[in-house]
Amino acid sequence: MTALLPHLVNGLALGLLFALIALGFMLVVSLMETINLAHGSFFALGMYVALLIVAPPGDPAWLPLDAWKGFPVVVRYAIALALAPIVVGVFGMLLELALRRTYGRDPLYGLLLTFGAALVLEEGIRAVFGSTEKQLALPAAISGAVAIGDLIYSSYRLFACAFAAVAIGFLWLFLEKTPYGAIIKAGAHDSEMVRALGIDLARLRRYVFALGVALAALAGIVMAPIWGIRPHVGVDAVVPAFLIIVLGGVGSFWGAVVAALLVGLVVGISGAYASEWSLLSMYLLFIAVVTFRARGLAGKKSALDV
Amino acid sequence: MKPEDEKPEPKVTTSPKRRSLLTALAAGTSATFFGPWKAHHAWAQAAQRKPLVIGLTMDASGQYGASGGEERLGAMMAIKEFNDKGGVLGRRIETLHMDTETTPATGSRVAERMITRNEAAFLIGGLHSGVANAISQVAQKYGCIYFNTNSSSPTEAGKDCHRTKFVWDGNGTNFAHAIVKNAIRTSGKNWVLLTNDYVWGHQTSKATRVLAEANGAKIVDELMIPQNTRDFSAYLLKLQQIKPEVVATAVGGDDIKALRQQVVQLGLQKRMAWINNQQDWPDVYGLGPDQIFGVFGTTWYYRLDLPGVKEFVAAYQKQYPGMAIRVPGNVYLNSYLSTRELLRCVEEAGTTANIAVIKKLEGRKMPARDRLQHYDAWMDPVTHQCQQTIYMATYNDAPAEKDDIFKIVAQVEPKDVLDTDAPLACKLETYDATPTYEQ
Repeated sequence: MTALLPHLVNGLALGLLFALIALGFMLVVSLMETINLAHGSFFALGMYVALLIVAPPGDPAWLPLDAWKGFPVVVRYAIALALAPIVVGVFGMLLELALRRTYGRDPLYGLLLTFGAALVLEEGIRAVFGSTEKQLALPAAISGAVAIGDLIYSSYRLFACAFAAVAIGFLWLFLEKTPYGAIIKAGAHDSEMVRALGIDLARLRRYVFALGVALAALAGIVMAPIWGIRPHVGVDAVVPAFLIIVLGGVGSFWGAVVAALLVGLVVGISGAYASEWSLLSMYLLFIAVVTFRARGLAGKKSALDV
Repeated sequence: MKPEDEKPEPKVTTSPKRRSLLTALAAGTSATFFGPWKAHHAWAQAAQRKPLVIGLTMDASGQYGASGGEERLGAMMAIKEFNDKGGVLGRRIETLHMDTETTPATGSRVAERMITRNEAAFLIGGLHSGVANAISQVAQKYGCIYFNTNSSSPTEAGKDCHRTKFVWDGNGTNFAHAIVKNAIRTSGKNWVLLTNDYVWGHQTSKATRVLAEANGAKIVDELMIPQNTRDFSAYLLKLQQIKPEVVATAVGGDDIKALRQQVVQLGLQKRMAWINNQQDWPDVYGLGPDQIFGVFGTTWYYRLDLPGVKEFVAAYQKQYPGMAIRVPGNVYLNSYLSTRELLRCVEEAGTTANIAVIKKLEGRKMPARDRLQHYDAWMDPVTHQCQQTIYMATYNDAPAEKDDIFKIVAQVEPKDVLDTDAPLACKLETYDATPTYEQ
């Protein structure tokens, strides 16, 4: 049991990071009923925008404005965490403008559009930044390692987990305890009524999509020092995100969070005791749950369910 | 209008002498069209000056996407050099690149298409051993010569060898020979293997295990790492619990980049010795100095103090100015050298016919100076693997310039790192069993 404990804790930590990755995806799917396959590319774009902000002066050479680069890394990193999701959110708004034509039509149109956008974004990143590995500088306070008993754990990973937990909490508060959250949820449940109440539904959708994309970017920035930065890193994010929201039940906030924690636990423990199964284990978990409960852990019951 | 062949034939009377002449002429014409296939084909090609198409089967995405880009540039540079001289056999060389996606099924599909629809004369490119094996099976089916430029599973020139396949990189066993004994002596006997869970990882770790155990080391555990693993925290915790003296990794592509970053975050590079069987340049370029830890194998470094190396680096920078990878590495060089050797062999053979070119390649001697390495290399006629110098490297803590990140600690002669199991496992198809192929 003593040997298992670190892996349980590590699995939960991994689950929090998975939850952070899936948050934006979950928001767009459940509130707009749109599967955003470009989620992973926005995740990658967040990393690169953060890189522009955090990189030292003169890097990259083509960046004309770098007045903030005289600040210490900790300040630049904080600016990146605050600013990069907003910048990427604007890209999200642009995509939503194109996506608007697909509302109310076959979901395949939205899928194809966002898939195309994912390819364009990835190639765009490759063209601008090149395909080699990049590094995001970290403040000294969250670099290095901490000893817990006779085991060493990454300080940054602890920070990332705490950050993920706070982000999950804030999003829940926003959706559940603010009038904006109420409007967003109402728009998802009964768009006709929301429109009848004089709320600009088009603008609402634009902002929700931008928020989902900004969360993808935020997750990207947090994951950058763990996964590394490369143009195709988004593929690594979109697959678990998709799996987690289906496993948790589409539309369920806490369902997605619990699913992410379960996935983290399964991947973490299998990585330690049956390492060759560690990636496959999340899919096995998915199959096991969906076989007995097609709507996921906390999904709403469909009319087709018996 | 009546078709041409329905016109009534004019009546012609001929003398016996003239008839003989016409008969001879007809026979000559028939021989041209129906004579030996080789002669007919050579005539057709010379007449048309058909470009020579080389299919580039490099990954542009997936685990080895970054290395695939370098590999493509290397082949393109060799091809450009030949095109600048007028091509090969008077034919301009054209290239066709398709992304093999680090996926064996895609490799098969790409190879099939390039051979059957694009009339590729040769196929070049391979990083992932599963992909290379898949391509080579298709190539052998048609008789098309395939160059596995950079994938290093011992099986590639062992049980999966083919008459039409030539393997240009050092393999896992070669690198293990160069590294293992020294690591046991300097770092200890309790080892853990970290193995990428596919053919290259399996075979490389197998070679490491055999050598390590033969030299008195104990393999305490072997952790399999699925391809595309991005989070190594569970493995790294496990390593802390096992407390080995040496961790021998056979992990490549994007996986090794993520692994290196996460090892450094825990400071584990200071608690145990790390050896990486082979470290490809694109997988390490751009990582911070602290992340290039341990001892690793390679086949080349851009600052080797050998004739021609500086000029080669300058040629790369001239041809590809402003590249993210500012200096060439082992992946680029392997691809360049192998493509150049192929085109030389075609010129020497005077034909693109597969068997003639294969015979030029088998047993081919390649001087060290020509390959920018320390020792002469040769193409093993039994396994079709290039036997070449193997280097051991570590991080350079006194770099002469920004890109000078490796310190070469030793170079080993090819004869000292021979994979002696490969010739026993490799059964090349006979020439007769290999289909004739010529484009």
